[in-house]
Amino acid sequence: MSAPRPAAATSRAGNIYDLGYRHYEGKRNGRAYAMWSLFVESSRGIWGFGRPPTAKAAPFLLAGFYALPAVIQLAFSSVLTQQVASGQKVTLLAYDSYFPAFSVLVFFFCVAQAPELVCRDQRNQVLPLYFTRSMGRIEYALARLGSLTTALFLLLLVPTAALFVGDVLMKPDTFQAVGEEWPRALPALPANALISVGLAAISLAISSFSPRRAYSAIGIVAYVLLVEAIPAAIYSIGQTSGWSWSDKLFLLTPLTSLNGAVDWFFGQKLDPQSFSGSLTSGEYLAAALASIVVMTAVLAYRYRRIPA
Amino acid sequence: MALIETASLSKYYGPVKALDGLDLRVEPGIIGLVGANGAGKSTLLKVLLGLISPTAGRASVLGMDSVKETRSIRQVVGYMPEHDCLPPDVGATEFVTHMARISGLPRTAARERTAEILRHVGLYEERYRQIGGYSTGMKQRVKLAQALVHDPQLLLLDEPTNGLDPAGRDEMLDLIKRTGTEFGITVVVASHLLGEIEQVCTYLLAIDAGHLLRAAPISTFTERTPVLAVEVEEGADRLVTALVASGARARQDGARVLIALDSEALYDAVRDVVADLGLPLVRVQQERGRLEDLFRDAAPTTGSAG
Repeated sequence: MSAPRPAAATSRAGNIYDLGYRHYEGKRNGRAYAMWSLFVESSRGIWGFGRPPTAKAAPFLLAGFYALPAVIQLAFSSVLTQQVASGQKVTLLAYDSYFPAFSVLVFFFCVAQAPELVCRDQRNQVLPLYFTRSMGRIEYALARLGSLTTALFLLLLVPTAALFVGDVLMKPDTFQAVGEEWPRALPALPANALISVGLAAISLAISSFSPRRAYSAIGIVAYVLLVEAIPAAIYSIGQTSGWSWSDKLFLLTPLTSLNGAVDWFFGQKLDPQSFSGSLTSGEYLAAALASIVVMTAVLAYRYRRIPA
Repeated sequence: MALIETASLSKYYGPVKALDGLDLRVEPGIIGLVGANGAGKSTLLKVLLGLISPTAGRASVLGMDSVKETRSIRQVVGYMPEHDCLPPDVGATEFVTHMARISGLPRTAARERTAEILRHVGLYEERYRQIGGYSTGMKQRVKLAQALVHDPQLLLLDEPTNGLDPAGRDEMLDLIKRTGTEFGITVVVASHLLGEIEQVCTYLLAIDAGHLLRAAPISTFTERTPVLAVEVEEGADRLVTALVASGARARQDGARVLIALDSEALYDAVRDVVADLGLPLVRVQQERGRLEDLFRDAAPTTGSAG
């Protein structure tokens, strides 16, 4: 295929290294490959691979902190085993309560890394180079969204796996324990997937509106804090004023609706201590899915309109 | 088949007419696209790439419509923007390889082509360093490399010598010339610097306020004109007086004397007059047209094809 071209080679006699310009006659892949390539580059970027060492600090520290409680429980599983065996009541970290308990760290991860993905190319004006190649604007947005979703999924998977291993090791019969543990751990996978897409879509959609990282990060934090706080405030007023509809506003919240949706996968009733109102986990799931659709549409809209 | 063709192509930004009924037909070669800042050069390139769609009219590249067949066009076109477009925190090799893959080149091919192209544009050991630490000249080379890496048939360069010092400028122009001649890739160079266009291009498109001013091979702009320029160190005024007295149409232009070249006999007449007056002669040469005349006024005074 890449046969040497004698004409080109001899045109610059005297320098054996310079073969002259050679045309490329090999394979050219299409849009799917371009998207995959951007996905790979993007995923490397999130974790700071191929970047200066400082770029690796934030993602790995946050991922480490998020996994830490589960890893500690795993490390002390032998001690815990004795306590469980001796009939003591031990409160262990569980698959369904892990994300709600430590979701702030996952949120910080999004605040730190989502702007990195979409602001960098805008700030350095790299987008025209993409859009003049076989890459569409929507494809660009989807590849970026896919990479952040995957990164979040991995981030959530580590503690889930650690909990699983820990729980199995606490039982005397390992094989039997694996069989018992699987059905309990399995709902964590779709739940983690939902959380990943949900957080990735929100944080990327908001980040994409500014080329400056700082503004994007502030934008995500402001959006999530406000949209979490406003329904809660209206609900508390509504309780005294007798507005029965006010608890429905919780469906608009980004983090609470994801937390509520997690319980749907584990088939649990919502804990009244952390969830106010009469909403069910199924309603929260529908709200979370709707939020994903809306935020993905906002992201796509932004990239359709972005000047290149 | 013409490489680039446009028919009454127009692009309005509100009341601003960036392109106004432009009709073009470009054949392969190294094509200079000149015009003042804001004449519509960048807009034309962006329409050809399908980055912006025209308000009216149509454009085609290699026979493909710029609106309907954008994707097919992009496979065979390389684009180097006018502005900075490089992320500072990656190396040139990594960045250009990535761009090659976005263009559809498989992993190994992308790596090989990147190494080859970076060598062609003259980046060696520094290609692994972060782009943020590069000089402007090196950055321009990386920009050219990313436009070339997927082996396009047409290369669109927007102000490729922007911000370069004279040495860097000459190197970049030399690279462009090599790309056009050795690599066999048609190059369109948009520039507001006529000197550069004159140095490398074979064909010239001059646009002004969205209109086509002139389109012709560069030689027709710079060919000999029927004017003889005589330069003397002193006594230009005496030379004019003597020449006019002998019946020639001559006028003084600074230290030079311009004479209408009516016949071959004029050379002898000039020689004799200069010898008679004993003037220190510097040079006698036929005037050439200059590109600047194109923009100086609508009807060039010395142009032959006006």
